[in-house]
Amino acid sequence: MPTLTGRVFFISCLLVFSAPVFALNNAPAVPVGILTLKPYPSPVVALKDIDGQHFNLKETKGHWVFVHFWASWCGPCRKEMPAIQSMWNKLQKEGLKIALINTSEDEDTIFEFLGVYAPNIRALMDTDGRITDQWRPRGLPATYLVAPNGEVRYQALGGREWGSPTYLNFLRQLLKQQ
Amino acid sequence: MLNLKQIKFFCIGLIFYCSFITLEIQANPTNQYQYSNKKIRIRLLPRSPEQIAAFYEGRGFSKEMVNKLKQVCFITTGIHNKTQQILWHNLTYWHFTTKNGDIKRYTRHYWKNEWEKMGIPLAHQSTFRWTLLPDALDFRANEHEGGNIILPFTAEPFTLTARFKTGKDKAGMPIEIKIENLQCRR
Repeated sequence: MPTLTGRVFFISCLLVFSAPVFALNNAPAVPVGILTLKPYPSPVVALKDIDGQHFNLKETKGHWVFVHFWASWCGPCRKEMPAIQSMWNKLQKEGLKIALINTSEDEDTIFEFLGVYAPNIRALMDTDGRITDQWRPRGLPATYLVAPNGEVRYQALGGREWGSPTYLNFLRQLLKQQ
Repeated sequence: MLNLKQIKFFCIGLIFYCSFITLEIQANPTNQYQYSNKKIRIRLLPRSPEQIAAFYEGRGFSKEMVNKLKQVCFITTGIHNKTQQILWHNLTYWHFTTKNGDIKRYTRHYWKNEWEKMGIPLAHQSTFRWTLLPDALDFRANEHEGGNIILPFTAEPFTLTARFKTGKDKAGMPIEIKIENLQCRR
């Protein structure tokens, strides 16, 4: 039977030797449905919002950015949007930036949709769909997470429960890295 | 005579009964086709011209564009990779056949040419493209994606056969599916 001193010594050794491993491996645990990508420079997002104000993704350098493509006719987009609003209510103050990009719809459609599903998020308008095409989403909705250095690091598969603790914790871990 | 408590129980029972009937109807729409096993689930839902017109008119598409789309056979398709490995979807390996031969699917390239000839605005071309099933996609573990496949209209029943490669390097056991007696809607 190991003595108490022996056990304490063993646990201490374990902690001391595993510490460098934890320090090196500070990548957050990635939840289900999020793909870790080989980082690549983010395609352009230079668009006007629904009020005519300009947005350029380049100007968000130094922050993690939640880049999301959606359309009002897409069922999974409708389902996911309240979760994005819920996430945004919590993480906006913690330094997350967002680019909520509507694909190819008009102002009235966007205004009516977001008024119901995500009234507090600024909507960007990709009126002819060219920006969306450059990002080459797998489908709609599509979400990418862009790192503070401007590289695309993660991609979500379809709609996700962004307001749930699993995804909020993941995003918070990313924000701690900036 | 029934007392108030009995009436209440009767009403609750009736509500439960009605909701079960509704669920059953929703789960078994008559015009939906499905293939499902441990690895994959594919659902096909042929759309009527009225459904197609309602959808695209609702997005502001021109009458000319909608009329063209009403002439063809729309099949809304959903694919779910139920495995933990990559499932490689490619429409090249999807074949639609009747007893009289192959039905050639309308490609994205075909529609792009048509819309350009007709001078369709880029916004509508883009929305249309996003409603189509991707030509190719590496479906990740448990991923669902969907979209429309468009065929020339046929009144004959037809069969879909499709093949999916699997595994990171496409060297896994391929999955082959067959769905018979499909019908376009009119």
